[in-house]
Amino acid sequence: MSNIGWKDVLADEMPDDLAHEIDIFEGQMELMGQAKLDEKVFAETRLRRGVYGQRYDNGQRHDGFESRELAFDEKDRVKGPDTLWHAPGMQRIKVPGGGLTPDQLDMLAQVADEYSDGILHVTTRQDFQLHFVHIEDTPDMMRRLAAVGITTREACGNSVRNVTCCHLAGVCQTEVFDATPYSEAYAQFLLGHDDVQDFGRKFKPAFSGCEAEACGLVMMHDMGYLAQIKEVDGKPKRGFKVFVGGGLGTVPHQAKVLSEFTPEEEILPQTQAVARVFARLGEKRNRNRARIKFLVAKLGIEEFRRLVDEERKTLPHDDRWTAYLDTLPHYEEKPTRPPTFLNGQVHSFEFNQWLETNVYDQRQEGYSVVTVNLPLGDLTSQQSWELADIARKYVGDNIRTTVEQNIVLRWVSDADLPALYEELRAIGLGDPGAGTIVDITACPGTDTCKLGIASSRGLAGELRTQLTAKSASLPDAIKDLKIKISGCFNSCGQHHVSDIGFFGNSRRSGNFKMPHFQVILGGKWRDNAGSYGLAVGAVPSKTVPEVVDTITSRYVEERTKGETFQEWIGRIGKKEARSIIQPFMNLPAFEQQPEFFSDWGDPRVFSLGDIGIGECAGEVVSLFSMEISPAESEAFEAQIALDEDDPARAESLAYSSMLKAARALVRTQFLDVGDSPDRIVEEFKSRFFDTELFFDQYAKGKFGQYLLDRHSNPNPDPDNDSARRLIEEALLFIEATHACESKVGGNVLVEI
Amino acid sequence: MIAPHRLSVKFFFEELSIDVEDFIPVFHRWIRENVVPNELLLDVADYKHIVDGPAILLVGHEADYVVDLTDAKPGLMYVRKRDAGSDLSEALGTTLSQALNGVKLTESDVELKGKLKLRTDAATIVLLDRLNYANAANGDGADTAAAAALSQISDNLAPIFGDDTTVTRVANDPREPLTFELSAPSAPDVDTLLSQLGSAD
Ligand code: HEM
Ligand code: SF4
Repeated sequence: MSNIGWKDVLADEMPDDLAHEIDIFEGQMELMGQAKLDEKVFAETRLRRGVYGQRYDNGQRHDGFESRELAFDEKDRVKGPDTLWHAPGMQRIKVPGGGLTPDQLDMLAQVADEYSDGILHVTTRQDFQLHFVHIEDTPDMMRRLAAVGITTREACGNSVRNVTCCHLAGVCQTEVFDATPYSEAYAQFLLGHDDVQDFGRKFKPAFSGCEAEACGLVMMHDMGYLAQIKEVDGKPKRGFKVFVGGGLGTVPHQAKVLSEFTPEEEILPQTQAVARVFARLGEKRNRNRARIKFLVAKLGIEEFRRLVDEERKTLPHDDRWTAYLDTLPHYEEKPTRPPTFLNGQVHSFEFNQWLETNVYDQRQEGYSVVTVNLPLGDLTSQQSWELADIARKYVGDNIRTTVEQNIVLRWVSDADLPALYEELRAIGLGDPGAGTIVDITACPGTDTCKLGIASSRGLAGELRTQLTAKSASLPDAIKDLKIKISGCFNSCGQHHVSDIGFFGNSRRSGNFKMPHFQVILGGKWRDNAGSYGLAVGAVPSKTVPEVVDTITSRYVEERTKGETFQEWIGRIGKKEARSIIQPFMNLPAFEQQPEFFSDWGDPRVFSLGDIGIGECAGEVVSLFSMEISPAESEAFEAQIALDEDDPARAESLAYSSMLKAARALVRTQFLDVGDSPDRIVEEFKSRFFDTELFFDQYAKGKFGQYLLDRHSNPNPDPDNDSARRLIEEALLFIEATHACESKVGGNVLVEI
Repeated sequence: MIAPHRLSVKFFFEELSIDVEDFIPVFHRWIRENVVPNELLLDVADYKHIVDGPAILLVGHEADYVVDLTDAKPGLMYVRKRDAGSDLSEALGTTLSQALNGVKLTESDVELKGKLKLRTDAATIVLLDRLNYANAANGDGADTAAAAALSQISDNLAPIFGDDTTVTRVANDPREPLTFELSAPSAPDVDTLLSQLGSAD
């Protein structure tokens, strides 16, 4: 029983490519354990598999009195710079467009209770996050997720992050058309694509079906796509208005229009061209200026557009650009129940309240979208499989996560609403108020994030409790305001685009630091995150509930008929807005109000001592280092296969590792080499072997010859000896690849 | 039998006259004072906003201590995550004694003393390991591991908790982890249990 692992049990259920990638990652972990991989390369490698650092993983924690060392075993073992191997970490799990099936939800629940703390957390980009995960559990976790079609690949790191899509796409009343299948094709096309491996920073795309609503948030994304239909030759033609260079963070940028209309067949190649321009010209050294928004700002959108158009012309054709279009006419979601209508029966007050805030009338008659309002984006494993069963019964596969950290069930037949509500309530998921002032968004903050300054989740929890308690008496004008909170200026909680936003910072009072939140007012959620709010001043964390009260009361008193919160803030201006919070800006001394010196939900005396180095920026390592590392892992796997008496597999892994190494080297000069072994060997030979660049001072061409020989003379029936020989040759070949890269790496010519 | 990937034991509160959030400062102090000498305590996680879930967690390297409200049955759950022992029997011993140690620490804590009490006559034991201990339906052929675990756990616990101890399997939905309920009407108090566990080693 003990020797059979998930790898064996799930062998037939995992897609081969995912299974292989995970094996490679496991091999890289093994090599890191033996200190055979550079720590930065490994850090970026694990980030690109969604394996993130977490607070205190440098082995230090402030206990309120002093900073203490956490006594992990093997303290010299690391999983990245200043990141201890045994310290718990976070796992981000990519969910393209937020789309989930009940089986996937079941599996997420299972891995959460076996490898995490039994809590699934929905993020502001439709992903899931698990916390307190040990790195050694991650390969099996990934395998179990792979078995239900989920990958964690490129969930973090300097890569294309989750492709988000409006959670109402396809059922929305106002959309131009359903952007879902495009976002899916896009996500699939870019996942692991060669052209997205050499970014200086992360890259976040988003899709939306309509301009006026918020859901897709395209204006704040690195790349955003807004569905459009244009008349071409008298016929309606589908395409997208394409935006580039938006982003939040410390310096928020509104995206610029890259093209007013990109026809559907051009979406993927155009993105590929953007990716190449970004990889080539984007900042790599200064991470604070490495997002594409800075490149677009530096070049100007016209020049950027010109470069993209030029680049587009040079791209080698790829059938995948348009192959998915053939499947589009067949794309449809299937409801599990026929359409029905809510009859006129009298329902409970609670149900009606929930109906008002959590139910959206679909475009398709007789159906609704139900929002499951998750407090702080959290649900337990048990709730998850119970929710999966509810979904099976009422909506089948039509589950999506939302950027407001909730889950929606689409295609609920209307007459089922009362029963569904009761079932959700029975599992603690029947809270009303979705999308209203009580439904607060918060980033992980000081709970788990290494960069957190103040407790965004603690504050969100407190505000939720206080506002819910008085929700019945809240004036209508403020019921639908949005509150979003980030633990620091990086804005993962999207505070810039809420009515009332906060981000954590700190101020000194006497000898102590006091947790604070900067108040940001009047950001716009609608119009796809149409404009950013105004920073008006920082207040102590503990005053925030009162600050919210004061601001909203003033708004209720002063608003003119129909005036929105943004309009009101715009009218009164920054100075007046600041004067509203001014009374809260006087800081008490520690002796007067010691409770001001600790954060919500955290009684420790506040300090900044726990802030570490965040991994949001990933590690900037060369494309070659990232690509040679899987080759090393494969050579390692080959040795294991040999130990397991499987010479055929060992031999083929050894050969494949040489090909990977050769490909990594060729790609330092020629990005488009592709995956075909013949092509790789041919390019390797002409560029490095025949030119003698690959030659060793003493061994000359010997190491390169190993690959050429094996490629032209495959061994149909390798025995242990021949497999062992090839592994040795592969190891020497990989070493020689390293040597060659460092010899010629200084003046790499990139040909495109 | 192989030690499960994780193993948890939950004892239930008999009385609990405080808010769950009062555990937060207590757990922070436990970390500071290193109250469990053979475990590394790391941080406190606050999930009290979740209805009927793990409300407050003291997260450790080897184990988590959870003030757990699941199924409206408040209790203190000890989740052993690593280094529990080489087989099920040893893992059970480690988990149970550390869980009882947690009960003792909680009941005698300076801030909590007199405000809560945990019962020893019932507990929930969960094997969080769907690979080796699948929660297959009773008698369907795939339940060998579950059945063997049941008899192992019964055999181990009866001498400690008393002759009238029963262990029953609950919930056989394969998505859920393998779960057992312990009922021990004549269970002795925590100290006695701990000393019996010690001598059983
Ligand atoms: C300098 C470092 C970081 C920057 C500039 C940054 C910035 C951002 C921004 C602007 C967003 C949200 C909006 C968006 O683009 O859609 C975001 C998402 C997010 N960030 Fe960060 N972040 C950083 C580090 C971190 C760290 C260390 C954590 C802690 C775990 C974290 C957690 C998150 C989460 C949970 C999300 C939602 C993400 C998703 O599913 O992709 N971020 N980040
Ligand atoms: S906003 Fe700051 S505290 Fe919050 S998750 Fe992002 S980096 Fe961490």
